[in-house]
This record gives sequence, structure tokens and C-alpha cells, in this order.
Amino acid sequence: MTDILQILRDYGLLLLVGQYPNGPLGGLAITFAMAVLGILLAFPLGVLLALGRISPFALFSWPSTVIVYVARGVPLIMLIFWMYYFLPVATGRPVSGFSTMVATLVVYQASYIAEIVRAGIEGLPKGQMEAGRSLGLSYLQTMRKVILPQALYNMVPTLLSQFISTIKETSLGYVIGVNELTFAANQINTTLLTKPFQVFAILAAVYFALCFSLTLITHQLERTVTARRASAPTRGVPQVQPAVVIASE
Amino acid sequence: MNTMNHASAASPLISFEGVNKWYGDYHALADINASVGKGEVVVICGPSGSGKSTLIRTVNRLEPIQKGRICFDGQDIHARTVDVNKFRSHIGFVFQSFNLFPHLTVLENIMLAPIQVLRREKTMARERAMALLNRVGLAAKGDAYAGQLSGGQQQRVAIARALAMDPPAMLFDEPTSALDPEMVGEVLQVMQSLVRDGMSMMCVTHEMNFAREVADSVWFMDEGRIIETGTPDEFFARPQSARAQKFLTDLRSH
Repeated sequence: MTDILQILRDYGLLLLVGQYPNGPLGGLAITFAMAVLGILLAFPLGVLLALGRISPFALFSWPSTVIVYVARGVPLIMLIFWMYYFLPVATGRPVSGFSTMVATLVVYQASYIAEIVRAGIEGLPKGQMEAGRSLGLSYLQTMRKVILPQALYNMVPTLLSQFISTIKETSLGYVIGVNELTFAANQINTTLLTKPFQVFAILAAVYFALCFSLTLITHQLERTVTARRASAPTRGVPQVQPAVVIASE
Repeated sequence: MNTMNHASAASPLISFEGVNKWYGDYHALADINASVGKGEVVVICGPSGSGKSTLIRTVNRLEPIQKGRICFDGQDIHARTVDVNKFRSHIGFVFQSFNLFPHLTVLENIMLAPIQVLRREKTMARERAMALLNRVGLAAKGDAYAGQLSGGQQQRVAIARALAMDPPAMLFDEPTSALDPEMVGEVLQVMQSLVRDGMSMMCVTHEMNFAREVADSVWFMDEGRIIETGTPDEFFARPQSARAQKFLTDLRSH
């Protein structure tokens, strides 16, 4: 225990922000930055892929289906290597490990989010789309104004748990030399040489604290969404017990 | 087959010419020839699975057809030049299960299409929506959500939502079938007020009193065909076909 406290005293800052401000930002800050950037960019791409997947036009459904199946069908680490060698060739210039990792996470997470969004859309009653269309709204207008707001609201907890996975997945950035939390821990271990258990216990504890607290938030959100779905989406309006429960809900 | 109605004689608003539809091998609609005149109210009845809902859903292209022609206001609705969204905005459709948008308030439900499709100003759309809510007797419910309303109230909002597009015709697909009995009357009243204002209407319903009071003609369907048409008086007093006689007997025995 004293070892752990000693390590935290000496290297705590390295774990949090890397060599910053004397060197590049790293550690937990970069881990968090990759996860947030990854999920923020993956989300719109995932929605687009989902729309492609359910599109009646082969031009859209085929490419999105291929991307989703391929990205979900290979290990993440393979995708990372692939991006690592492919991106510099495709862009014609060196690509940083950070960018490579974010790009990989975006593709990977977007494929998972796509399937979540697709399930959310297909889980809504068919009458919602029909009602929108019969009022004269186009397919995309109905998607944007009627279907997606409902589907995405129901999916908020699932999306947050994807964010938690993403945080854990950033640790794989270590293999292509991204200066993130796992990388920092490994640096410390190499410096100390004799304290691997203590160093990696700290590493595990940091990931666990972050992910577990987010999991608790997810559970809370899940309860909220379930409760609202069961009654009405009230958005601050005083709750009135519905007199009739609709069969389609 | 002819609707035998004075209103439809001049120029029909909706006409079916040899309409056929299959679901795989199942012949859902068979050789439908009929028309609805401007201002005419047609009630479609028949046993379940007879194709009533399918027929009414073909009129605004919610269901495609494989053969024949459907014209609205003289225009083939499947013509390539027809903008399906614009066309649909001219026909109000009311569903059995209301299909209000649960994430929007009652007012937002009504304002959505006028703003998105007709590009109305928000304030104008709101004013009109309030007037329509008033008309269906729900002026106080503008800020409520669908889940907070009773079934009858939801269906009245759904009617107001359809009316917001000022459609010359309305289609009702069993509008009262999902309602508790005590709520049927309030919805039928709203529909009757539309009839008084001269709205053209096709209505699939089992409410035979409604048919008797407001319909100009009744179409009786069975197994995907219209097998009998006539004025409500003719149809209810002297049904011609054995199947219509049986249907009416079954209905009365409830």
C-alpha cells in the first residue's frame, strides 16, 4: 500500500496528463480525449450507417452493411494495425498515433452504434412513419422530426455504455505508441522495474473508477427512460395519469 | 359496378379502375371499380380481412397496387410526375391507432406538417392549430402530450392534425375501433361536423348508425371485392347478396 502511495506521489501527474506542460499531453487526459472524440464522431456516422442499413436503395444499404459487418467482424486490434498502415498511404503524409486511434475508434464504434440505432428505429411502431408520410412529410423529414428523436431518446443509456467501452478500448492505443493512460503506466513500470503489481493495480483502479461511475449513471438513465416510456414523455410537464394505455406502445 | 350516386356522377374525386393487389399469392384486392364524388361520404364495411383497410390505404399510396389505376381529382396517383409527398398532403388520413407523435405536444403534432411541408410561419401554424383544437373540443389540451390524453381525445387530435393541411378529402381507417365504447361518440361527432361542412370522405367503420346517418353510399366488401354498393337505406333495408345479409345479421346480433 505504501508503495502505491509512493508511486502515486511520484508519478500521479504523469498518469493524469503525461509530460504536460513540459512535453506532450498524455495519460488519462489523452485517454479521455480519444474516447470523447471517438464517440462524438462515431455517433453521427453511426446514425448515417443505420439509415443506410434500412434504406430500400441498394446504393445505400450495401456499402453500409459491408462496413458494419466488416468492422464488427474483426478484432479491434486488427483494425488498429490496418489503419496504422493504411491512413498514411491514403492521406500521403504521416498520421499521428492519436489520430490513427481516433479514426479507428470512430469506424469501430460507428458500426456498433449503427446497429443500436437501427434496432431503435425498427422498434418504433410502424404507424409513426406512416403517420408522418401520410401528412406529406418526406421520408427524411419523418426520420428527422418523428422517428430519430424518439429512437435516440430511448437509446441514450445504450449509447452511454458504448462510451464506456470506448474508454476501455483506447488502451489498445498503447500498441501503436499513443501516449495514453496505459502507455504512461507502462512507462512507470519500466522506470521502476520492481513494482509491476502496484503499477498495474493503479492502472486498473483508474479505469475501473471511471467506467464504474459511468455505469452507475447509465443505470440511472435507463430507469428514467423506462419510466418515461411507460407513461408519457413529460419534459417537465406535471405528470397526469393517462386514461388509456395505447395498445401499440 | 357503379356507386349509383348522384354526387359521383359528374367528376369523381377518387376513382378506382380495375384495381388489383396481391400479397404474394393472396389476392388482397380484386378488380375494384368504384368512385367517390366531391363532397360524397362513402362508408366501407365488411368482415375482417375483406380488404377494406387495404383499399383505403391504396388511396394515399400507403399500399402499392399491382394492377389498375387510381385517380384523385382526375390525376393518376401513380403517374411518374406525381410528387407523392405533395399528393399525400392533400388527403387527410386517420388511423385506427391514432399514431400521434408521442414526443411532441398536441399543438406540435398539429403544427409539424404545416411548418415542414407547407412552410407556414410558426405563429400562423400555431394559430390555426389552436382553431382546429377548438373545433374538436380540445382547446385546453394544446400543451399536453399524447400519452396524457384518453383514446377519444387522441383520435380527435389526430383528426385536427390531418385537417391542418386543409385536405379536400379525408380517409378514416376504422377510427373508432380502438376506442372504449364511451369514447366512440365524441369522435363520430367530430366526423359528422366534417360531413356537414361538405368534406369528401372514405371511412372504414363498423359504426352502422354513423353509416346510416351520414353516408351517401355504402360499399360492402368481402374477399377483396366490392360485392355490393348502395345508399345506406337500400343497403341496410334490402341487402342483395347473401354475404351482406349474413354480415348485417351478425352485426345486429351483438
